[in-house]
Amino acid sequence: MNQQPVAALRTYVISWCALLALLALTLGSAYVPLGWLNTVINLTISITQAAIVLLFSMHLRFAHPTLRVVAGSGFFGIAILIALSLSDVLTR
Amino acid sequence: MGSTVAALAPQFDDAAQQREASRLGIWIFLATEVLFFGVLFAAYTITRVHDPAAFAAGSRLTNVTLASINTAVLLTSSLTMALGVLAAQSGSRRATVGWLSLTVALGISFLAIKGIEYRIDYLEHLIPTVNFLYTGAQAGRVELFFYLYFVITGIHALHVLIGVVVISVMAVFASKGAFNSDYFTPVDVTGLYWHLVDIIWLFVYPMLYLVRS
Repeated sequence: MNQQPVAALRTYVISWCALLALLALTLGSAYVPLGWLNTVINLTISITQAAIVLLFSMHLRFAHPTLRVVAGSGFFGIAILIALSLSDVLTR
Repeated sequence: MGSTVAALAPQFDDAAQQREASRLGIWIFLATEVLFFGVLFAAYTITRVHDPAAFAAGSRLTNVTLASINTAVLLTSSLTMALGVLAAQSGSRRATVGWLSLTVALGISFLAIKGIEYRIDYLEHLIPTVNFLYTGAQAGRVELFFYLYFVITGIHALHVLIGVVVISVMAVFASKGAFNSDYFTPVDVTGLYWHLVDIIWLFVYPMLYLVRS
């Protein structure tokens, strides 16, 4: 929000193009048989896309640190949930 | 209504501080939304780790073409939403209404495509407890995949529907001139919600539709 409207418009359009390009990439990669690497590639692309939306569309790039911590807390919570659950499931 | 809601609440020093407080509030809500979907993602992860082959078999039965189109629709709606917030911030009434209406149209398109997808799933007998009919290997595990598929996409679609309703209300407010460069928080906060629904879909899409190998 601390950007000039014209600069913000440019940022949004560039992000949109990047997001669509990454969509094409993740879709295309799913048809290349790479085994477990497919999942890694898909997930990496999703995280990249999410980062673009969080930083640019949702303005976390310019946000107050308090806001960033709150925004990150949900994702941090899931990471703990999945990591600890897997530490059980994968070691049985 | 513009003058009543636009007024600075007494506990704030200025409009900027009031905006920051609203953003903090919506982000706390969004963090709980992330946790809400996170539980479903965790259930998905554990089930899939348990039986990767059945999940690949299930995923191959989903409609990747419609889902990919829908991803593009949602990403585009996120752009139009961002432009709507920008227009509200610059106090341009017509542009705000235009962008918000376009966002609503894209949101409805997403739901319509999702509906077509569900219809195809129904015809292909893929709906657990309704008409699930799969005779291949590990049918029970494939059915479990479809349980997760319907719960995750269904709850996500509900969030899109709520977004469509809220954005429509914002468009009506905007048409009455409720927003200006000092007061556009409702549009801003609605935009943050809409972008988060978009982010969640960016993970749902590869999880459910792209498990091909």
